[in-house]
Amino acid sequence: MASHNESIIREPLVTGKDITYAKVTEDVLSPVENKPNKAWWIGFTVASLGACLWVFAVSYTFWYGIGSWGLNKTVGWAWDITGFVWWVGIGHAGTLISAVLLLFRQKWRNSINRSAEAMTIFAVICAATYVVSHMGRPWMALYTLPLPNQYGSLWVNFNSPLIWDVFAISTYFSVSLVFWYIGLLPDIATIRDRASGLRRRIYSICSFGWTGSVKTWQRFETVSLILAGVATPLVLSVHTIVSMDFATSLEPGWHTTIFPPYFVAGAIFSGFAMVQTLLLVTRKVLGLENYITMFHIESMNKIILVTGSVVGVAYLTEFFIAYYSGGEYEQYTFLNRFIGPYWWAGCMMYGCNILMTQLMWFKRIRTSIPISWALSIVVNIGMWFERFVIIVTSLHRDFIPSSWAMFYPTWVDVSVFIGSIGLFFTLFLLFLRVLPSIAMAEVKLLLKSSSEQAKKKLIDEGHLDKSQVEYYKESLINYDSVKISDYEKV
Amino acid sequence: MDSNKKYWKGLEELNKTPEFVEKNKHEFAEPIPIEDVLSGNGLMGKTPRRDFLKAVGFGVGAVTLAACQKVPVHKSIPYLIKPEEVTPGVANYYSSTYDGHAILVKTREGRPIKIEGNPNDLLSKGGLSAQAQASVLDLYDVNRLKNPMKGTTEYEWNEIDAFVIRELAAIKTSGKQIRIVSSTVHSPSTLAVIADFIAQYPTTKHINYDAVSYTGIIQANQNSFGKAILPHYRFDKADVIVSFGADFLGSWISPTEFTTQYVQNRNNKSLQSKKMSRHIQFETGMSLTGTNADVRIPIKASEEGVALVNLYNAIAGTTLPGTKKLANNSANNAIILAAKELEAAKGKALVVAGSNDVATQVLVNAINSLLGSYGTTIDMDNYSNQYAGNDAEFVEFINEIKRGDVDAVFFLNANPAYDYFNSKDITDALAKVRLKVSFSDHKDETTSLCNVIAPNHYYLESWGDDNIIEGYYTVLQPTINPVYNTRQAEQSLLVWSDAPVKEYYTYVRNNWDKNLLAKGGLSGQKGWETLLQTGFIKVADKPAGIYSFTRDLNAVAGTILAQSDQLVASGDKKMELQLYKSVAMQDGKRANNPWLQELPDPVSKVTWDNFAALSLTDFKKLNLNEGDVITIDANGYSIALPVLLQPGQAEGTISVALGYGRTMAGPVGDGVGKNAFPFRKFRNGTLQSTNVVTIGATEDNIILAQTQTHHSYEGRNVIRETVLKDYVKDPYHGTGHTTEHKAYKSLWNEYQRPTYNWVMAIDLNACTGCGACVVACNAENNVPVVGRDEVRRRREMHWIRIDRYYSFNEAGTTVTEEKEIGKLDNLNNVSVVHQPMLCQHCDHAPCETVCPVLATVHSSEGLNHMAYNRCVGTRYCANNCPYKVRRFNWFNYWNDSRFENYIQNEHTLLVLNPDVTTRFRGVMEKCSMCIQRIQAGKLKAKIEKRPLKDGDVKVACQQTCPANAIVFGNGNDPESEVSKALRSERTYYVLEELGVQPGIGYQVKVRNRTELEA
Repeated sequence: MASHNESIIREPLVTGKDITYAKVTEDVLSPVENKPNKAWWIGFTVASLGACLWVFAVSYTFWYGIGSWGLNKTVGWAWDITGFVWWVGIGHAGTLISAVLLLFRQKWRNSINRSAEAMTIFAVICAATYVVSHMGRPWMALYTLPLPNQYGSLWVNFNSPLIWDVFAISTYFSVSLVFWYIGLLPDIATIRDRASGLRRRIYSICSFGWTGSVKTWQRFETVSLILAGVATPLVLSVHTIVSMDFATSLEPGWHTTIFPPYFVAGAIFSGFAMVQTLLLVTRKVLGLENYITMFHIESMNKIILVTGSVVGVAYLTEFFIAYYSGGEYEQYTFLNRFIGPYWWAGCMMYGCNILMTQLMWFKRIRTSIPISWALSIVVNIGMWFERFVIIVTSLHRDFIPSSWAMFYPTWVDVSVFIGSIGLFFTLFLLFLRVLPSIAMAEVKLLLKSSSEQAKKKLIDEGHLDKSQVEYYKESLINYDSVKISDYEKV
Repeated sequence: MDSNKKYWKGLEELNKTPEFVEKNKHEFAEPIPIEDVLSGNGLMGKTPRRDFLKAVGFGVGAVTLAACQKVPVHKSIPYLIKPEEVTPGVANYYSSTYDGHAILVKTREGRPIKIEGNPNDLLSKGGLSAQAQASVLDLYDVNRLKNPMKGTTEYEWNEIDAFVIRELAAIKTSGKQIRIVSSTVHSPSTLAVIADFIAQYPTTKHINYDAVSYTGIIQANQNSFGKAILPHYRFDKADVIVSFGADFLGSWISPTEFTTQYVQNRNNKSLQSKKMSRHIQFETGMSLTGTNADVRIPIKASEEGVALVNLYNAIAGTTLPGTKKLANNSANNAIILAAKELEAAKGKALVVAGSNDVATQVLVNAINSLLGSYGTTIDMDNYSNQYAGNDAEFVEFINEIKRGDVDAVFFLNANPAYDYFNSKDITDALAKVRLKVSFSDHKDETTSLCNVIAPNHYYLESWGDDNIIEGYYTVLQPTINPVYNTRQAEQSLLVWSDAPVKEYYTYVRNNWDKNLLAKGGLSGQKGWETLLQTGFIKVADKPAGIYSFTRDLNAVAGTILAQSDQLVASGDKKMELQLYKSVAMQDGKRANNPWLQELPDPVSKVTWDNFAALSLTDFKKLNLNEGDVITIDANGYSIALPVLLQPGQAEGTISVALGYGRTMAGPVGDGVGKNAFPFRKFRNGTLQSTNVVTIGATEDNIILAQTQTHHSYEGRNVIRETVLKDYVKDPYHGTGHTTEHKAYKSLWNEYQRPTYNWVMAIDLNACTGCGACVVACNAENNVPVVGRDEVRRRREMHWIRIDRYYSFNEAGTTVTEEKEIGKLDNLNNVSVVHQPMLCQHCDHAPCETVCPVLATVHSSEGLNHMAYNRCVGTRYCANNCPYKVRRFNWFNYWNDSRFENYIQNEHTLLVLNPDVTTRFRGVMEKCSMCIQRIQAGKLKAKIEKRPLKDGDVKVACQQTCPANAIVFGNGNDPESEVSKALRSERTYYVLEELGVQPGIGYQVKVRNRTELEA
């Protein structure tokens, strides 16, 4: 993008002195080009053990049947769909960052979008595994696809939200994957150029013949914009459709028109929390503090606060509508979230998602790395419980009291979920090793316009309005979340 | 002419290069190492790599091709000569008899697969009990004895016969006694066989031994009227019924028949004429009958006698000596009220008592006599033969053995080693008997003590007859060749007594020709054939005589009150124990039947276990939680049972079901629950089911396998009820609508149902909750049994369930909500409602819209179909079903070694209904409204070139219902039974406000009670 000079009053997006293009490449590619460090090995061992657990638990389920889960005649979905919606929700931040923020020219996205998109892909993979593994007869999963068949005119049921899900998730996954990969091309080419031997050949194939010519860059920009346009509606549509699994049903607690916006907000909320969880660790371990700065962290915290509050309003609206509708079953369901046997799950949901995120109003909390990280975990837990409450607490006591039942998870339920987290981290850690975790090409774009040193240079040139320069300097001290000492770090 | 042209194939040939010449010497361009191979070196040498790969490739390919064959191959052998009456795919029905009820046995390709009531059965009009429905499964029980045995060795029949005849001859010479111990025999031919046996061996005596006998009633009738019989009770003629602990709808004498009778005064027809019987129940534990009573008063077992004395006093206007009031004031008032109502209904009143005490029953006779019940509600002339056992006779039998008088004993359908209260006594005594023969087809507790086992045919393999009510003779005919090498007990007796006719079939024929056929106006071969078709003959009823009670009651009252005092539990940890026959298990004879084990108890909804039922007060007093295991101690016998909080249980009492705790019933029944028979007590000449026990705490807690764990309906209008008074004023009362059925606006397009619209009506006022429909559905639709653990996980597969709800009456208001119930101090004022719940076949079915693969769709006949082969098992339909009637195959219940209840046994698959597919794991299933029956009915009508008539198609649950609470049919036909039933003012649809348009209309429950009682 054009390297016009950004207004001096904006906060810099890249900190540190002497950041050059070469330095960016070195910093970002260091984990890709060097042997993994101890932290990575520990993380990878734990994660791959989790992935093995997942393989075992899912195989066990396939071998013996869904009965190895704790479901029963009343509660037909529990940890499976809870996990599914949770993962799909987490996947949301990636697209939002890559597409929506791109369209809105939010340049701070440049240094976090790669990891966020990777996270999206992996989260959607985890969600998709649930779609198949929760089926009673997964080997018949192809029945859910509108394939030509010999059964006369037997087609899928386009009335069923589950079919919408199939389309929504597969579209989302493919668009996200393409978007992510297109973005990777210049960076893969960089690796290619720096590598030799087999590595070079592999990256060469993966780079799709990237030449770095002006025409290539121009096409790259165009495709990115088009894909951003395609992906933006998906941010809204995927979770809207997931929410319709519930909203179009008859179950009290599910049958709620507010679900689409409520789910989308919740998804972005949980997605950003997950990005936060991952990046706070990644930037430290990989030494990327200059690119993922406190400013990024605080920005994401602000989004978490806003979406968390939207979710909070949705919760309140649900309660109000339950009361106001006069629907007996609806009222009972919402009361049951507090006074029923699953009251603790309700408390986890409301406590983690509303009460805890309100702490983000305080700048000191927003800019504290340990607290931000802890809160991001709290949000992830809270959002898991949100889905659990919606699914299990609604189902377990619905219309006919004779069928009221409790749900108790088995070791398989737990293992599939823990295992899916292991799978996710396995994929993410592998990603860190083979692909640049920060979009180098895009960060480099910022270097001349939005980095601390670029601004310094501008000031030194002395063509700027003095008052603006003063304001910039003051605000760095007074308002900026990045400490001055951090700016000076090399 | 030679051509001078020279043809060459290549330059090499033309030039004759040396290489070419060399090469051309050989036949093949490249040398083939045949010589090398054939010489020893080639064969012995190392396999070249390429050859190895070739061989492997061929081998793998060949094996793969060979493996492509479909396996396993099951060869079925078609009929070489097709029997005339068997058409593959078409069912044959044979009339037969079960427990005296006329039945039809449905057979397919020669194997019985379903028991159905004979619609002409005089006792229950085609209704059948759960036991009768389940009985077909026992035919295929692999644990049946396969050969006659001596000791533990299998023998041929002739060897057994030779041995027994030799022994009997020796015993005859020695003059020692011979005893035949059987549960009551009511088959005329069997009785004749026994009589012939006695004629041959005059020292023989036949002892009727019933696990739970009615000696008290029989003796009381002997004492009161000189007739030692069990009368035929007529609940259909009673306007006011007062029962003291008699569970006549669940287990007392003839529950199926009584249900049919009882409901006649409470069903829609009766209500249309503004009439409904009134039923007051005084009892200790909550029985099935108690749940149906209009007024139910919990009283302790020790108070029953006192209450009866008070009732007598109130009716007779006297005061028997020793009379005292009950401690419970409301019970006192109820007795006065009951007395008034009984008197007002003189001639149409009936008092029954479940007690087996002679004195108590004498007092009941006196009351009934005062009420003019004899000749109306009690028929002493067309009496019942169902139970003839005399407890004292059996006690005497044991004494005889102990004295060494008895040298031979034959056990026919009797298992005293399990169900006699003092099983040690009988076990020890039997050791002294020389010849012990059991006819049991299982190696049960008693059989294992016998030295000769002559296994009987199962009733579906047998000839015979039955006569449970005087004048009603039913015939038993075999429906399958004997599965194992068994022989009918009667035939064994005929052989051993060297009778002139040794073939039992001929014997039965002769007996009927000579004695019985004429009674039904039949004769000869034609008469016999008619009988085999109709299944029974009925002799005109004798006029029911009026009997009046004239004996002095002072001594009787004294005995009753003295016994009551003995039952009072005083002291810490002492409680009154009441034992009852469980509705599913009865006396435990069918404990090895998994359908019955998994049939939820109608009141507690517990499966696969018995338990100790206690009241809330006692729960609090003893600081118990549901499922805590307590020990119960009496008669020097102790068992540990989990406790169940039973609303309506009399305070200070424990109720425990009999029929559990078998040790040699078979793999299904063994170790299920605990045996409570040893707690029975021999008192006043009879065995009684009440005792005083000591209880103790243990550390254990067991989760009972209940199919329903929430017991109140939370004030929701899924249950709608009213009281008779309001109903009479306004038939719409309590239905939620004031005129005809309320129409809800719909957003969906209507389905076309041009010809048929299959709908159902269920009368909550007729349904007693007995559960026969559940077993009938299991049998008809191949519903798998899942076992105790899966029930605990709430995964029972029943397509129809009976929801049972408690509501409580507190200070004139009805309490149904959990949180309010939690505040109640006692749960004595409980009302119960039973609601059969099955797929409602909604016209706008929520399950249909959400299925991603169209596995569940609507038919043009108003049915909600389920295509198992299309189902991928997302379970979305079950989640979206507001009635929660869809059942998911969590495991492959048909072929998973962890569910070896019965379905994977060698022969059990033969019981499957071939018209209904079994379901694989991962597939959803639910009530199909017996679509196979609908289809069969339509086909039959088509073949006969006629439209389908109302009543041609009966679904399994409807067919077996002795209360006729379920009506099924075509809603498009305004004259069909179901259309008429649905036009009842009482009709409402469960959750109709959701707009799903359910296809099953329920009729409001009406209670015949005043507001004050409510």
